[in-house]
Amino acid sequence: MGLGAGTDGQLTTGSLQDELSPRFIRSLSAYGPIVSLSCGGAHVIALTPGGRVLTWGRGTSGQLGHGESVSTSQAHIVKELEGFVITHVSAGWNHSGFVSANQTDCFSSETGAIFTCGDGSFGQLGHDDSSSQLYPRQVSYFASKPVQQVACGMRHTLLLLAGNVEKPAYGFGSGKRGQRGISTDKVKLTSLPQITLGLEKIKISSIHAKGDHSSALSGSLYTWGRGFCGALDTYIPCLSDVDFPISKVALGWNHALLLSRQGYLFMLGGDCHGVLSDPQQTPSTADIRDSGSIMTWGWGEHGQLGLGNTIDQTAPQVVGLHPNSACANATPRLYCVSGFSFVLITRI
Amino acid sequence: MSYDDVEIEDMEWNQELQAFTYPCPCGDLFQITKEDLRLGEEIARCPSCSLYLTVIYNMEDFQEKSNKKAEPPKPQPVAVA
Repeated sequence: MGLGAGTDGQLTTGSLQDELSPRFIRSLSAYGPIVSLSCGGAHVIALTPGGRVLTWGRGTSGQLGHGESVSTSQAHIVKELEGFVITHVSAGWNHSGFVSANQTDCFSSETGAIFTCGDGSFGQLGHDDSSSQLYPRQVSYFASKPVQQVACGMRHTLLLLAGNVEKPAYGFGSGKRGQRGISTDKVKLTSLPQITLGLEKIKISSIHAKGDHSSALSGSLYTWGRGFCGALDTYIPCLSDVDFPISKVALGWNHALLLSRQGYLFMLGGDCHGVLSDPQQTPSTADIRDSGSIMTWGWGEHGQLGLGNTIDQTAPQVVGLHPNSACANATPRLYCVSGFSFVLITRI
Repeated sequence: MSYDDVEIEDMEWNQELQAFTYPCPCGDLFQITKEDLRLGEEIARCPSCSLYLTVIYNMEDFQEKSNKKAEPPKPQPVAVA
């Protein structure tokens, strides 16, 4: 289901209108239950059960990977990646990253290759230049290094290597706010991947990038890049001083949400548009953590909260889902990014 | 309230829009033209939403450029016999 800003076709409803309430997207059902979604500035990447990739939305920089620089409101398979089993995808502001499970050689195991396309002006595609790519192109730097995850921010990209490697994370692209974590000095651009410092020998489970923010999770949270809410920028990963184990992290444009292992939700940064401030527990989400409802709050100007209006919300509100999808045996997952959001309903 | 402060060097020149742009959280672009900058305007607005940001720049940089353009070509030295 899509909701929010639709000006570039990012809601794949076939129209360019904003949607104030969640709208069921039938066209995606043909590809089987979608495994995961990633939402960029105004484009979306979806992963099918067989490791195929669908993209739609703004394509003006080639970020859809279809070989052209046009936007589309219809989901299309990225043909260039057919033959690869893609296991992880990430949509940045105007660029995209795809990680494959195996290269075409069926004897190699877990050799994750990384492909990027879209805007490369800041070196965020990792091809050692600043050109843009209309088709996904393999980042040759990682030809012999198995990649597990990719995280695309506004103008930078982070990679997490698979396995227990001494140096698990790499960054490339814009680094003016320290978001690549590669040096204690200010290094503006680098189009060649470089090692993210301070994470050596740490078993990272996930990496995240949004705007000029970066983070990595190992049970503990590391953050670097632009400081939240006017705090100083951090040039290498810093261990966050939250004193509870964290199971999930979601970065926003000026705030981060942390889900504790106990199932409580906390927030870092952000005090405008109704997002809360300080690492504090969000008040009413704790009551519904087991019920499978979706709650939204914060900026709502494009209807991205799915509440049927364009009002900012300072407290979490329950989203009314499509009657056909509100089924007891389904787990909803919410993907928010900027002016639009998606709800993915997976039937158990 | 201004959403953010951004230095002009972090904005991108968009030939099509004839404006300096910066990503807006709504998915569109904050925009400000050279003429705006020449006049001392420091607010870049997004055409799709109510957010705006403050552009940090040196007004003289744009004054000089504009003046140079407006100036008639410098008289070339004329070779005298």
